[in-house]
Amino acid sequence: MIKLLKIEWLKIKNYTGFILLTSFFAVGVFATNYIAYLFIKNVMNKVEVSKLLLSGSPFDFDSVWKTVSYYSSFLLMLPALLIVILISNEFNYKTHRQNIIDGWSRFEFLKVKLATALIFALGSTLVVIITALIFGLSTGSAFSFNGFENIAYFLLKAVTYNMVGLLIALLTKKSGVAIALFFIYTIFENGVSMLLFFLAVKVKNDSGTDLSNLGNYLPMNASDGLLSSPLDQFSGITKSIIPYNNNMLVLTFALCYLIIFYLWSKRKMIKTDL
Amino acid sequence: MAILSIDNLTKNYKSVKALDKVSFSVPSKTVFGILGPNGSGKTTLLGIVMDVINPSAGTYTWEGSHESAHDRRKKIGTLLETPNFYHYLSAEKNLMIAARIKGRGEADIAKVLKMVNLYERKDSRFNTFSLGMKQRLAIASALLGDPDILVFDEPTNGLDPAGIAEIRELIKELFKSGKTIIMASHILDEVEKVCTHVAIIQKGVLKTVGPVAELMDTPEVDTGGSLLIEISATDNNGLKNALKQLAGVETVTEVENTLQLVCTEKITGEILNRFCFDNGIVLNKLNVKRKSLETRFLEITGKQSDK
Repeated sequence: MIKLLKIEWLKIKNYTGFILLTSFFAVGVFATNYIAYLFIKNVMNKVEVSKLLLSGSPFDFDSVWKTVSYYSSFLLMLPALLIVILISNEFNYKTHRQNIIDGWSRFEFLKVKLATALIFALGSTLVVIITALIFGLSTGSAFSFNGFENIAYFLLKAVTYNMVGLLIALLTKKSGVAIALFFIYTIFENGVSMLLFFLAVKVKNDSGTDLSNLGNYLPMNASDGLLSSPLDQFSGITKSIIPYNNNMLVLTFALCYLIIFYLWSKRKMIKTDL
Repeated sequence: MAILSIDNLTKNYKSVKALDKVSFSVPSKTVFGILGPNGSGKTTLLGIVMDVINPSAGTYTWEGSHESAHDRRKKIGTLLETPNFYHYLSAEKNLMIAARIKGRGEADIAKVLKMVNLYERKDSRFNTFSLGMKQRLAIASALLGDPDILVFDEPTNGLDPAGIAEIRELIKELFKSGKTIIMASHILDEVEKVCTHVAIIQKGVLKTVGPVAELMDTPEVDTGGSLLIEISATDNNGLKNALKQLAGVETVTEVENTLQLVCTEKITGEILNRFCFDNGIVLNKLNVKRKSLETRFLEITGKQSDK
């Protein structure tokens, strides 16, 4: 596997898109959190009520793990986009064929892509951990691992995004189409989720049955759902409408989707003509 | 010994039969040409034996090895359809990737780049290359690790006349050094000049297979003869009349003051010359030709293009 990854690294390290997108991500994570930090600090200074509701800044330990994970997760599109581009490049240049002609098995080709998706997710998570440490420590709060599970949720979300990107690239084989479809899909899922949410509210009003929000169980939302906004705790509104008490169920769904994505991409790679 | 055995390979693309029960084997240490018009199924066939296309039915076996199929491919140098490289990487870096996948050292890279005259451009990005240079890089990549088997799909595609001649020479040299070369081409002349064996495919159906020399010598039932002799004399009409007496001459056609005779194997230049001399005719031209592969190809596949 290390041998395969070393070859993959030869392909990736000189690719401008890789350097650009990874830098955007690293800088973006820091910038986004810094903006949120400034914003919250400002609001907290001005609005007396929030001071009463909040004990400490969301950028203090323990909340910082949750806060930074949440804001950074908006940027997970970038590594996933990179996965989409790297895989569709192979189809575009027909190097996926050449790699196999030269002696990789079809599964080896997929395996190294899966590993890359996982490594990108781990890398993104590492950036988030470092950012959280910087903010947490700079606010002068006492270091703590409490709430570190949010980092795990972030990792899960990163893996899911990258897997969705990988699958879409394998299915479409064309970079333009794959990128468009990736964005359309995320918008589509949010749309469907919204519709299901309204449906759930209606059902609750009509019959009293609480369906919660079924949209939370869709592939990308399931991994999203585990990361809630750090401001929920004092807004109090979002939480009452969207119950996140089904964490275990949402987690199960998220893991099931990952298994489905894996099996689907394997089938695609092994069974079809390249 | 057969290097590659193909048994009843069939490939259907929806309603189109790209390959229809094709069976043959490639003998070791030959230049085996797969000849056919555009769209006849040559690339599909090579794609299947290189595992990038799944057959609808049938099997193939690469002989002489007990390794897994993909490890076997590491020891075959292949150029399939188009040169496939990472556009943003240099020639050298692209070959580095291929060499590592094949599990070969990188020591070969400079050598193969020199063989195809690309060494000076080793640091140039692939997307700055002309079509001919891309093709030569693909051939260099196939030569990495000095494999015993080479598979070339239209190897002279996009090359200029000098480049074509170079590659043909290279293939001949590789053959002389004891390698087996499987080569798909739609260019008859190329197959005739380079190949020792040929399989002719049309619309996915194998029309004929065998050594090139044998194939060209096979008499065709409807035309009878297999030798083409061109002769002329001052009095071509008198010559034409005299030839009616000679057994073994099947047809006589006059083309631009030359008589083209289709003869059976019994006729030789000497027999013909003596016959004319005995009949008081002095020939000013005598040219004995074997039937060209082109004639055979058209006989086998018909004269219409498939397109």
